[in-house]
Amino acid sequence: MIIEAHGLRKTFTAKRGRGKTEQVEAVRGVDLEVETGQIFAVLGPNGAGKTTTIRMLATLIPPTSGTAKVAGHDITTNPDKVRENIGYVGQAGGVDENSPGRDGMILAARLGGMSRKQAETRTEELLTAFALTEFADRPIRTLSGGQKRRFSLAIGLVNRPPLFFLDEPTTGLDPQNRANLWDEVRALRKQGTSVLLTTHYLEEADALCDRLVIIDHGQVVAEGRPDDLKKEVAGDVITVRVGDDATGEARTLLSAEPYVKEVRPEDEKLRVYVDDGEHNLPHLLRAIEAGGLAIQSIALERATLDDVFLRHTGRSLRDAD
Amino acid sequence: MLRHTLLFLGYELKNTLRNPIWPFFGLLQPVLYLLLFAPLVANTTVGGNLGDTLEMFTPGVMIMIALFGSLFVGFGMINEIRNGYLERLAVSPAWRPAIVLGRTMRDMIVLVVQAVLIVGLAALMGMRASVGGVALMLVLMAATGLLASGLSYGLALALRDENGMSQIMQFFALPLILLTGIMLPMSLAPQWMQTVAHFNPLYHAVEAGRSLFNGDFSNISIPLAFGLTLALGALTLTWSVNSMKKLAN
Repeated sequence: MIIEAHGLRKTFTAKRGRGKTEQVEAVRGVDLEVETGQIFAVLGPNGAGKTTTIRMLATLIPPTSGTAKVAGHDITTNPDKVRENIGYVGQAGGVDENSPGRDGMILAARLGGMSRKQAETRTEELLTAFALTEFADRPIRTLSGGQKRRFSLAIGLVNRPPLFFLDEPTTGLDPQNRANLWDEVRALRKQGTSVLLTTHYLEEADALCDRLVIIDHGQVVAEGRPDDLKKEVAGDVITVRVGDDATGEARTLLSAEPYVKEVRPEDEKLRVYVDDGEHNLPHLLRAIEAGGLAIQSIALERATLDDVFLRHTGRSLRDAD
Repeated sequence: MLRHTLLFLGYELKNTLRNPIWPFFGLLQPVLYLLLFAPLVANTTVGGNLGDTLEMFTPGVMIMIALFGSLFVGFGMINEIRNGYLERLAVSPAWRPAIVLGRTMRDMIVLVVQAVLIVGLAALMGMRASVGGVALMLVLMAATGLLASGLSYGLALALRDENGMSQIMQFFALPLILLTGIMLPMSLAPQWMQTVAHFNPLYHAVEAGRSLFNGDFSNISIPLAFGLTLALGALTLTWSVNSMKKLAN
């Protein structure tokens, strides 16, 4: 286990003007177990407590209560040891805008204990790996968003940390740069680096991670492999639209079918959760026909992590932000 | 720990050297004071010559550079908090106080270089000050810079807001400068102003500087200024270092 966290809590005291304060419970008892070599995602809407969780694990802020071992060291009693074993890239990127990326990388390497020569060699290595050599001597502020993000990754990896934290790594990136970043994260796993990332993009968690937790209002609502979580809900989703008046009737009718696991209304449609959708679709069509209802539209799709979120929180992740 | 401080110092000095134009702009104002104000003061005093006036005027200008050069160093840091740079350093193996100490040392080096140029200019214009006195004054000036940059970094870390910070800076800077007697000797001021000035550490620094330039090493203002400035400098530096230690809390 590269991360083992038990009952992490963080309560902030927020000022509310005129001397009034309010206790904000950002994280309310989070347990996490991340195996070495995994890409692990913390998925949740904005304000769910993802960033606070990753900041506690990276020793930036101490937890109000709870314990965690990161890379074998306790975050509260031995934060210095934790820091020697992690790379951390925050939401804002965290590169010095006024200096060239090369200088920042050499500084980070030397702070990590390398000699000047080692630092220069390591910097060259990373500049090549991230295709940054031609921008290495320009001030970071003159670079594009994608190039900046690559520099922040490279700087975080300078000391070859066994564990890498990424807080919302693709927020603000265009699709091309996002795909590139996913490839870079997968390459890290290939080299044996464990990765913990936070995201509010379902596709990202789905495409990238081996395991994930879904958190909402500071609590873990689901934990597991993406495929297992989705299977728990159902293999497939059939979206049916029968017209406004008939929605209630259709819901009752379909809920009674033996192969239907669950029916949830969404806008004017119904989401019908079934296993083995291709096989059960004809049954469902017959049932609707037998009930004398007219289908306006119908679609079969695979269940997504949003269906998992919906099942555990009662609302869609897309609406929760 | 020292290694990390020196690494940050080297990095910051390289940053400064990449844009040496800014420290030169910072020199423009004191240079103008020497060129366009000192001769004016020299002419208003009966029998005053420029050399003597410069001896009285240059220490004040040095303290002015120390204050205005260092008081605003914290502004850059607010942006570094916002773009996550300090946050990343805080969870790196870097010794956190080194982040502030490296910068403060850079600030003091820049100040001393600026001051040497100013003293050189004054000498060219005819000032004949005590060499030992000038050397000691450079140390005192660096200590004043330490006080101001410690205050500036501390405020930046506490407020994290450029607007609030510039308001507070204005509030501090103007009375501090007016009550030092940089422009004119405080002996020309009414009694109440002289009394108030005694509570201004910079007043003592300027007085000490004048005695030092004069070669009058036994003047009581010298140990007083060194003691006050170093003590206050240590205080503001400790404050900013502590604020850095609990950066994200």
